[in-house]
Amino acid sequence: MPAQNVGICAPMRTDPVKELTKVRAGRDVSFFDLYSMDQVSAKDLDLIIALARRFREYRTHKFSLSAGCSLINAFFENSTRTMASFDLSGKHLGMDTTSLSGANSTSKGESYLDTALTLDAYNPKIIVIRARESGVPEMLARHVNASIVNAGDGWHEHPTQGLLDALTILDHFKARDLSGKTVTIVGDILHSRVFGSLVRALKKLKAKVRIAAPQTFLPAGVENFGVKTYYNVEEALTGADVVYALRVQEERGAGGFIPTLREYSKMYGISRKRMNLANKTAILMHPGPVRRDVDVHSALVTVDEQSHITKQVENGMAVRKALIWLLANRMDGKRKEPTRK
Amino acid sequence: MSALLIKNGHVIDPANGIDRQQDIFVRDGKIVEVGKAIRAKADQTIDANGLTVTPGLIDLQVHVREPGREDRETIETASRAALAGGVTSIVAMPNSTPAADNQTVIEFVIKRARDLDLINVYPSGAITTGQQGLKLAEINELKNAGAIAITDDGVDVQNEGLLRRAMEYAKTCGILLMSHCETDDLTREGVMHEGWVSTQLGLPGTPAISEDYAVRKNIMLAQLTGARLHLLHNSSIGATQAIREAKKGGYRNITAEVAVQHFSLTDEECFGYNTNAKMYPPLRSREHVEAIIKGIKDDTFDAFTTDHAPHIEPDKLEPFQHAAFGSIGLETSFAVMNTYLVKKKHISLRKGISKMTTEPAKILGVKKGTLSEGADADIAIFDTGHRWVVDSSKGHSKAKNCIFEGKALVGRAAYTIKGGKVKYSLKA
Repeated sequence: MPAQNVGICAPMRTDPVKELTKVRAGRDVSFFDLYSMDQVSAKDLDLIIALARRFREYRTHKFSLSAGCSLINAFFENSTRTMASFDLSGKHLGMDTTSLSGANSTSKGESYLDTALTLDAYNPKIIVIRARESGVPEMLARHVNASIVNAGDGWHEHPTQGLLDALTILDHFKARDLSGKTVTIVGDILHSRVFGSLVRALKKLKAKVRIAAPQTFLPAGVENFGVKTYYNVEEALTGADVVYALRVQEERGAGGFIPTLREYSKMYGISRKRMNLANKTAILMHPGPVRRDVDVHSALVTVDEQSHITKQVENGMAVRKALIWLLANRMDGKRKEPTRK
Repeated sequence: MSALLIKNGHVIDPANGIDRQQDIFVRDGKIVEVGKAIRAKADQTIDANGLTVTPGLIDLQVHVREPGREDRETIETASRAALAGGVTSIVAMPNSTPAADNQTVIEFVIKRARDLDLINVYPSGAITTGQQGLKLAEINELKNAGAIAITDDGVDVQNEGLLRRAMEYAKTCGILLMSHCETDDLTREGVMHEGWVSTQLGLPGTPAISEDYAVRKNIMLAQLTGARLHLLHNSSIGATQAIREAKKGGYRNITAEVAVQHFSLTDEECFGYNTNAKMYPPLRSREHVEAIIKGIKDDTFDAFTTDHAPHIEPDKLEPFQHAAFGSIGLETSFAVMNTYLVKKKHISLRKGISKMTTEPAKILGVKKGTLSEGADADIAIFDTGHRWVVDSSKGHSKAKNCIFEGKALVGRAAYTIKGGKVKYSLKA
């Protein structure tokens, strides 16, 4: 590992690289690509979270930990926060990053696979994929040399969101796991990729999970995740330790699943009064973008002390830096072998 | 003049109740004699000792893609795949390009198959023009051109009023109507069975009730009109119940089939976004598969088919949501039946053979699917103990999208004979 310069924003008392390397202690994650929280073992989660906490301390410190490596954001669906977060994370690690968003060669009729093979030929270490369709990152991971990171696929998963949510909740309770804690997730479960990763992360951390939504927003067999379902949001919120609101995904066709947003916000929107049903120490979370006064009452979004919504965003950068470093620079020297070219 | 003698094979001919070691003598394309120790002069003798001799299999549902999509499959490649699976007769589905809603396409398919002289190809015609579900096709013209049945398979007639008229008209013309049962408004964007697996994969699902509802609707309309109705590729608990009830109620005008993948595999095949597992109707959950097997055991279902659906590779190398529906299966259908039903002791080999020969022949009303003396010598000879791993790159179909790829199966066609001529042999 090359020696580091001092931080640009704040002088460091200790050598950040030494500190990070100490926390990492030669460890690697068990996967080459990350498309589902199912791939993340307890050990992986510990490692990512430990590193993320360190990276968070160093804020915008510029490292050259992954210098010489490239990261490509291939966002086949538009994104603001996630793309910026991955891009900045890569830059903070000293990587060369480039981002493609929205209209691209797939709109000219090229397949996702051929687009990914083209990007892979630039020899990036990491390709971050966001797609409208479930399973695209997992499919592409089989074909390319670069590590594929899923930044949201269809209704399926958004694993770095699951990681940042885990970090946010664990920090709040200063705990190693969430035994005895109740997390209530409210909203459009069916169309939510955030839910897909969050529920898997929460079950790994032994949390009790409740979900509250109209039946139209509940996917078939969702209780098999080990969650309890409620139509009545008040009941679901009573005694909760974490209240997690999800957005109604109108752009994914959720419109026809409820009569109006007005009725939805009356039935399921998180108001101060509803928040008060949760435990006093409870926190409010939301993956963003928030639709104020639909998902969550406006006053609760940023200023309320119970709201952790902006903390989530900050933690997002931290876990992504940890993950990117782990994927781009393996200590064990192992290489990914695509099953098919 | 050509003569063929098949010696010492275990002959299973459900139509005649034969299930024992016999010889078969064939001359000029017809079966002359079935019996013990036949001593006749033959041009060719097959030693079938240790092998099982059955009528050539009949598949009621095959997409040959010709005319129009010869890049996916042709009548010739489909026929060669069929022969490699012991299949000597197929019904060609009408969703070609253009659709078989006119005499020309029917006549073309018949002529092409006759020129090839590989297997019997029975074309089916469309129920509605362009399979659009809006207006009846010239059903009587289709029948006169040689269509064996009418169906809009691939899509379903959604308008109940039109479906009723189609059944009445089919009855008038004396032609079989085959229905693919699906309720579009319930299926919407569904790309796999709706259930726990679709939830884990985040894929929009098709509820089983979409099929149940359509099957019930079709049965009720068939009862109203008196049409001869055959229900294609049933896959759900509700469909099984509806058909069982109708048959128990003494209604004789309906028959029903199961595609072999629906009694052998579950929706868990979709894990990893395996697009070969994407099909229509979808692979369903374990409970549905168990109900289907129960329906096979009590003869709720009459026949087994493949719904052989060839695609080019790029159409399957897409995100699951955009990938084409369907799997090929002509070369594997016997092996799948043998592996998942006979070897697991759900049914006897004789019953399995019956549902792939005698019963489909009855449904179509053709003089096939039997080894009776005087019948056409369409014969399959299987090695029921042959263990193999499916590798579609070595297959005869133009397409490689096989849901059984990489799976270990037991049983394989050793010889396939059509019209008294050996058209396929595994060793060759």
